[in-house]
Order: sequence, then C-alpha cells, then structure tokens
Amino acid sequence: MYLKGEFREKETATRAILDLKAKGFGPDALDVFSNEPIEFAGGVLDRPSRMSLVVVASALAFCLLTILFVRFTQYNYPLVTGGMPLFSLWSTGVVFYELTMLGAILSSFGWFLWESGLIRRKSPAPVPEVEPGMICLRVRCSEQQEDIASEQLIEAGATGITKL
Amino acid sequence: MGAKVSEHRWGMAIDLDRCTGCQACVAACHAENNLPVSNPEQAAKGRAVHWIRVDRYYEGEFPNVRVKHRPVLCQQCDEAPCEPVCPVYATYKNPEGLNVQVYNRCVGTRYCANNCPYSVRFFNWFDPEWPEPLQLQHNPDVSIREAGVMEKCTFCIQRIKRFEEDGTSGVQPACVQSCPAEAMVFGDLNDPESKVSQLAESGRATQFLEELGTKPKVFYLERAK
Amino acid sequence: MDDVRKDLWRPLQGTSWRYLAVLMPLSLVTLWGLIAWGYQLDRGIGVAGIRRPVFWGFYLVDFVFWIGISHAGTLISAILRLTDAEWRKPVTRAAEAITVFALMIGGMFPIIHLGRAWIFYWLVPYPNSRLLWPNFRSPLMWDLTAISTYLIGSTIFLFLPLIPDVAQLARHATGWRRWLYRKLALGWTGSDREWHALERAMKLMAGIILAVAVSVHTVVAWDFSMAIAPMWHSTIFGPYFVAGAIFSGIAALILAMAVIRKTMRLEQYLTPHHFNNLAKLLLLMSLLWLYFTIAENLTVWYGNEPKEMMVFGARARGTFAPYFWTMVVCNFFVPFVLLGIRKLRSIKTAVIASVTVLIGMWLERYIIIVPTLSRPRLAASWGSYAPTWVEISITVATFATMVVLYLTFAKLFPIISIWEFKPHDRVPER
Repeated sequence: MYLKGEFREKETATRAILDLKAKGFGPDALDVFSNEPIEFAGGVLDRPSRMSLVVVASALAFCLLTILFVRFTQYNYPLVTGGMPLFSLWSTGVVFYELTMLGAILSSFGWFLWESGLIRRKSPAPVPEVEPGMICLRVRCSEQQEDIASEQLIEAGATGITKL
Repeated sequence: MGAKVSEHRWGMAIDLDRCTGCQACVAACHAENNLPVSNPEQAAKGRAVHWIRVDRYYEGEFPNVRVKHRPVLCQQCDEAPCEPVCPVYATYKNPEGLNVQVYNRCVGTRYCANNCPYSVRFFNWFDPEWPEPLQLQHNPDVSIREAGVMEKCTFCIQRIKRFEEDGTSGVQPACVQSCPAEAMVFGDLNDPESKVSQLAESGRATQFLEELGTKPKVFYLERAK
Repeated sequence: MDDVRKDLWRPLQGTSWRYLAVLMPLSLVTLWGLIAWGYQLDRGIGVAGIRRPVFWGFYLVDFVFWIGISHAGTLISAILRLTDAEWRKPVTRAAEAITVFALMIGGMFPIIHLGRAWIFYWLVPYPNSRLLWPNFRSPLMWDLTAISTYLIGSTIFLFLPLIPDVAQLARHATGWRRWLYRKLALGWTGSDREWHALERAMKLMAGIILAVAVSVHTVVAWDFSMAIAPMWHSTIFGPYFVAGAIFSGIAALILAMAVIRKTMRLEQYLTPHHFNNLAKLLLLMSLLWLYFTIAENLTVWYGNEPKEMMVFGARARGTFAPYFWTMVVCNFFVPFVLLGIRKLRSIKTAVIASVTVLIGMWLERYIIIVPTLSRPRLAASWGSYAPTWVEISITVATFATMVVLYLTFAKLFPIISIWEFKPHDRVPER
C-alpha cells in the first residue's frame, strides 16, 4: 500500500526522507512528486544514472556502424568512381561525425524514456495529484509499517497524509 | 567490379593559330548532339546551350587589334573538379578517360557547373524545344535531355561507341570533323603514333588553366611566345 | 506560482481577432509561395532567374539564411544552459521553437532548388534494384546528414522540456487539446526519477546540440568553400558562417521575443534585463562578424590574385557595391551605434537593430553566393543575375510560413517554459 505525505518546503521533505530511510525504507520505496524539479542535497535521494555511459557508447557504436556502412556499400555496389578512391576517410569524415552525433542524440532521448520510467510497463502504483508549490512524498509500505511511516511523516512536518 | 583498363584514352588538340573563329564546330555540335535551340529572350538571360563555344579575346587598341579565338569545350579533365561534388555520381570519369554525364541520374543540384573552372557545363532550364522543322533533324544516337538535367560536351561518345563496335577507321567528334581550317585533331592519347599524341608532346602544346591541376585532355597549340 | 501559470496559459485560450487578422493573410502568402513552387515544378526551374553562370541564386541564399537563423536556439539553450546563465530561462523555449521551424524551412530549399526536385530522395542511401548509390564525398551529402541530424536533435531538444508543461496542461484542458497533451506528455507524473532523467538528458543534449550546430553551419559553408570558384575557396568560411549564424539567430530571437512580449502581455517575464543581455550579445556578434569580414576581404584584396580581384571588385566597387555596403551598414554600423551607446540601448532599439541585422545577414549570403558565380574565371562567361517573381514569392512565403508556424506553436504550448521558471528566479527589473 502507498502513503502520501504533502510538504510545503524542501527542508521538511528532506527531513521526512532521511527519517524514513533511517527507519529502513529504501530509496526504491520512496518517490517524490512535484511540479518542478526539487534539488535535494547529495545523499538524500540519489538516483544513480548510466546515461552518460549509454550516450557515449551509442555514439561510438553509431560511428563504427557508419564507417562500416559507408565502406562496405561503396565496395559492394559496382560504383565507377573514375579514379577516386572507393573509400576516402577524410572526404566522408563529416558524414561519420554527424551520424555519431545522431547516435548520441537518439540514445540520450531513448535512455531518458527508459530511465525515467516513462516507457516501462505502467506500474500499478497510484500517482498523487500535486498542487502547485506542493511536494508529495509517496511511501510504499506494508500494512504493518503504515504506522511507522505515518509517524515519520507527521514528525517531519507533513501538512497532510493520505492513503493512496 | 574494378575499373577496366581500356586500350583507349581519348584526347584532342586544337591549333589556335589555325582557328579562324568561324564557329562551324558550334553549328556541327548542335546538329550532332540534339542541342536545344534557345530563343532571343532566353539567350539574353544566359540560357543558351553551346557545348563548344568560341571565346574571343581582343588585345591592343585600334588599329592594332588582335583577336584570339579559343574554342572551349569540356576538357575531360583527369582530375575533374566537377566529379567529387556531385551527390548522386551523375558525373564521373569512365575507363576511357572521358568525363561522362549520366542524364538519367542527374537530380539537378548544379554543383558541378559551379565548380567547373572552364564554365563548360550547361543546364536544361526547361524541356527542350526546336523550331519547326528542326525537330525532324534529331540524331537518333543521342538522347534528348529533359528539364532539370545537366549536360556538356561528351567528345561525341556516340561516335566513339560506334567506332568501337564497327571498327571503322578514324573517329572524329562532329566539331573536329567540321572544322574547315583543320584546326582540331582527335585521337587516342594511348597510341604514341597518333597525331594527337604527337601534337600533345610538341613544343606548342599548352593546357588551359593548367595551374588549377585539372589535367585536361584538350591541348591548345599556340605559337611559343 | 499560480499567477505565473495563469499568465503563461492565457495566450493558449481562445483566439482573438487580432491573432486571426495576422494568421490568415500570412497563411495566404504561404499558399502563394506553394503555388509559385508548383508552377516551377510544372514548367521547369527556368522560371526562376538563375542561369549560366549564376547557377545558384535566391534559393541558396534563403537556404543558408534560414539554417543560420536556426542557430538562435543553439546559442540560448545550449551555450547558456552549459554556462548556467539564469536569465536565459524565460527565453529558451522561444529560441528552441525558432530553431526547429527555421530548420524545417531551411531544409526545404535543397529540395526546392533542384532541377528535378521530385527525385530528391536519390540522395538518400537506400537499397535499390538499379545498383545506384549516393556519393558521400559530396558536400551536399554532408548537408543532408548534418541537417537531418540537427533537425532531429533540435526537435528532441524542444520536446524534452515541453513534457512537464504538457503534462500540466493535460490536466486542465478539454476536448482535442486534452487528447493532444496527454499523448505528448507520455505519462509524465512528475516523480523525482523522471525529473532527474530529464535534467540529465537536457544537460547531455545541450552539449551534443552545440557540437552539432557548429558542424551544421560549417558543413553548409563548405558547400561553397570546397569549390574552387574564386572567393569561395576560402578557409575562413566555416567559422565565418557559424559566427554569422549565431549573429542572425540572436537577431531573430530578439525580434520574436519583442513581438510575443507585446502581443501576449508578458512584460513581467521578458524584462528589459533580458533584452539588455541579448542586445549585448548581438553587439558582440556584430563585432565578431566585422572581424571575420575584414579578415576575409583584406586578405583577398592584399593578395591581388586576378580572378579573386574580379569578384572582389564586383562586390566592393561594381554592380554589387550597393548591396555590399548596405550589408556593412546594417550588420555593423547600426547595431554598433544603437546598442554600443548605452543610453541608446533599449528594447525598441534592440528590435530596430535586429531587423537591420536580419536584412544585412540576408544580403551577406547574397554577396557571398552571387558575385562569385557571376564572375567565373573565364571572363567570356560572365553573367548577371536577377530574380523572378517565383523566387521572390517563395522567399517571402518562407518568412510568412515562419510566422504562421510560430503563431500556431504559441497557441498550443506556453512560449515560456513554466517549470524552469521558478518564482525566485524572476529576474529583477533594471
């Protein structure tokens, strides 16, 4: 089951997260909903990301694929170039560069969709309605933990607690 | 499929001291290659097509004026600047050293024409038209180019192909054939005995805009200064 | 926060008669441009004024011009994002929208100027039964890959920060708008995971887009400098065009911002401080443009190479001199006076300077392309160029199209990115 705590300030929300983490609720069970991005201090609610790695790897992959594509198609098609070399790295370098960048672009967008959870199978977790200026902290907890969680939320200064 | 090493390498020599500027070569080329006929309005806009043209240069002041005539046609460069820039490979050097223009492939970007230092490339701005009865005079060996396609001198490749099929002696493009002053010579540069090879190596042979490194295969013979 | 949302959502509701009075005539102009293009496709490209030796004319000028305008978004979003400049926040979406639409318009011109435009797709490498393949060596192929990459990248770059705003709009909208916003929101809930991923993606995209944008206009410049035509074969073209692009992009942005500020009553959000900063950037780019122009022309003039001097003479003293010197006045003197003298710098003068810069930059593209082609190496082949109604119609129609696309965008999406614009970031009035 899910509990929703509403907070008006970042500080109270931070306190709630730290308190809940101390009580054994991991970052997986916690989600913060807001209308703008909230900058928590380091260590509060870190979400490790592999995006940079994925983007660089995709860019390099696209680069390699493009070079192979250009080279092999230029050789396999019976092209008559009249003395120009069939594959010329410098003359076609721009194409490799652009497609490398395209790889970076597509992968950053694609990985964003994956890492944010937007394209994963819709989880059954309920999404709280967020009023402007409000920070909603959603806690996933079992029936037994409900009281502990509520207590932490109230202590931290939640302006409202609802069961989702 | 690698490039065939052909036995022929076609070249031309034009003797500028013999050229009278009569433009018979221009007329012959028109007749042979189905060149579109322009009209006064379009010609004034620079749309007339002359695969070979005679450029006139005047030197000196009246009454000591000298006129120099230079027939300019596609130089069939060995390192043609028009080739690398075509995005669809519509122009390239064939195994016989000719810079061919593939009409069907051309999409009409006109980059090749911008890059030709000799300004020998011509574009079909409209579908070609001929005033009556010239449309009956077309050469069946040469295709008609539609609007949007680039064209230029081909060294009368249809005659070269005929020659290679029939094996008849001597092939001459229309311009060479029609020159009354016999100022133009055409032949195989690979054959050291041919007249064009000998002229190309004579002391009077120069190449037009040689400093650009295009390695043209048209040699202009001029009195050594 | 609610006030901000109310202000920025107000333009999305309903269409005033003023809006329609602008949109309708401009749509007709766009339609006229399409008719002109249709006429050209039917009769042949000879209905345009291009000819031997000026094989490239207005269409290429427009092409380079619009691709240049597209650098508006790159500068603001990418560079200012990377340097964490706070004042850019209300400006980013307006700039990114200019980029995407300018690219869409500019990208049409390589098709419009083709002799056989209906087979433009032959530049795309696709398997075919005729064993044909494009030539990757050609700068026009580089154009294709560069502009496609930039268009895809800019669209994604515009779309990413739009997602949270669209999700908000979806909650309050009705009818077909609700359906549109829900689809575009991709199920955005505002969780911190989503925000983190979004911000990381934006940061990466900012760097990538910057790298792509520099390469795109360099590649467009190389369409000219890879050729051996006199005064085209210049090593400076790459940086020259990129600087010129950012220059014209800022001008377009200032103009767009001034218009939306007035018409959408966003005076509190697009403050004189923003215009002051953009005006200073415009002035800086004007000085940079002058530096490049002097470097280019001085070296040609001093080198005195005969073929180049023919082109130079035509530009500085001959038939093109009126355009050349108008360009210098528009690109340097007007911005320098209006924006360099602090007392004169205001939103109004920034707009005047921007309009003159746009005129000047269009003339600059013309001065680069046409004189060189009209004065080829062989003097017997010289020729002059005059555009026809077809080229003029299509050129004017692209400006109308830009405004139509922009107005449509501003009617569907908030032109200021609401979530980036937190209350405590509202920049103080100067």
